[in-house]
Amino acid sequence: MNGSLARSMTTTSETPTQNGPAAAVTPFPAKVQIRDVGFYYGKFHALKNVSLSLRDRRVTAFIGPSGCGKSTLLRILNRIYELYPGQVATGEVLVDGQNILAPGLDLNLVRAKIGMVFQKPTPFPMSIHDNIAFGIKLYERLSKSELDDRVESALRRAALWDEVKDKLRQSGLGLSGGQQQRLCIARAIAVQPEILLLDEPASALDPISTQRIEELITELKSDYCIAIVTHNMQQAARSSDYTAFMYLGELVEFDETERIFTHPRERRTEDYITGRFG
Amino acid sequence: MAAEHIIKSYDEELGRLNKMIVEMGGLAESQLASAIEAVAKRDSELASRVIEGDAQVDELERELDNLALRLFALRQPMARDLREIFAALKIGSDLERICDYAANVAKRSIALAQTPPIQPVHALPRMATLALAMIKDVIDAYVEKDADKALAVWRRDEELDEMYSSLFREFLTYMMEDPRNIGPCTHLLFMAKNIERVGDHATNIAEDLYYLVHGTPLTEVRPKGDKSSLEVVGPDRAGAR
Repeated sequence: MNGSLARSMTTTSETPTQNGPAAAVTPFPAKVQIRDVGFYYGKFHALKNVSLSLRDRRVTAFIGPSGCGKSTLLRILNRIYELYPGQVATGEVLVDGQNILAPGLDLNLVRAKIGMVFQKPTPFPMSIHDNIAFGIKLYERLSKSELDDRVESALRRAALWDEVKDKLRQSGLGLSGGQQQRLCIARAIAVQPEILLLDEPASALDPISTQRIEELITELKSDYCIAIVTHNMQQAARSSDYTAFMYLGELVEFDETERIFTHPRERRTEDYITGRFG
Repeated sequence: MAAEHIIKSYDEELGRLNKMIVEMGGLAESQLASAIEAVAKRDSELASRVIEGDAQVDELERELDNLALRLFALRQPMARDLREIFAALKIGSDLERICDYAANVAKRSIALAQTPPIQPVHALPRMATLALAMIKDVIDAYVEKDADKALAVWRRDEELDEMYSSLFREFLTYMMEDPRNIGPCTHLLFMAKNIERVGDHATNIAEDLYYLVHGTPLTEVRPKGDKSSLEVVGPDRAGAR
């Protein structure tokens, strides 16, 4: 086992540069440092020289038109791409200073540290309780009461407990779409990760469920480093602290969310967020 | 200029917002010009028309507010679009205020026309000419979205302030010379102050325009030409000793 990947809260402190985004505002260190990352789907160069940092306990949103590479970038952060042949990532992704793209790293430990939630809710075909307990049991041996406590706290954290506490033994598939998505978030945080990756977590949900998810993101950021990919710019504006605009596999602009949505530096960003993209 | 929006009706609405500002600017200019003409020519009929005309500007401002709110609610504007609508709202209220000052000058001109003509009236149109040019130039700058032009207007306010200061002293002198001048000179003093305030609103518009174009506020310290608020003048100081 790789000892240095133990779940400690120590982080590499990156001194914020004076001119960098939010230099003055946030004391939060960079949890994830993406350095010169590139990505290939076979011969197709999907991501080019992307470098940016995700700060701990902050929400970073990735926006950009379809095919700009934002989901690809998220997939690199937990090495999900490795499940598919012909996909290659270059560069470095440092999580707490450790390059998770390095060969020979224990993938399960990477993924335990990094939870991911997808666009479509993906509950397992099992009870609500077991949906949460399944992941925990992979990593830890707990007594039944300890396990129940963990399930409850994950469901509470995901703002789902009150709605499901009387039907924990019923199938997770019987929940509404919004509830299923919160169940997936509960499942992701039950294994106590440090980083949450959300790929369009609310795009298949109605407006009320969407707002619940957004509120949840705001709640969760007190404990996690969160990255969210979204097509909904209002959602990025509402729920993130930093926003990265990507286009054609490149990172065009990365700054505080407020700056991006009030006066971005780049013309391409401006055109995209004001709906002028040709 | 920026490229067109994917949604065409959004462009049309923003265009309408621009047109309303230009229309209000034109009205502000003509209202003030007429008010000054009413003072110079002692034309109370013209003055009454200016006073009545103020309602039209108020109505335009209400329309502008409604359109801006509609755009906020329905388009969720971002970046430059957001700044453009925000600036239009502020500029609209500055222009409405300028028209209020014009109406105020017109009202006082009716009172002034009932007293015998006095010499210092002639200084007022000179001041108004500068204020009118500031309104015209700042609206031109708005049409062209030209921040440099706006900045030039912003700097010219100092001149207007200086003119006001010197008028202030001039009026005081007339009042001290002959107590019968106190009535008309007080009206003139308020009118001059109104025109000086018009200049301040023109500089506000210049600041809003600067923000619209650059996305950052104008932080330079504006030169101040009006020292009249610090001035103390009395018969004992000016005369006896």
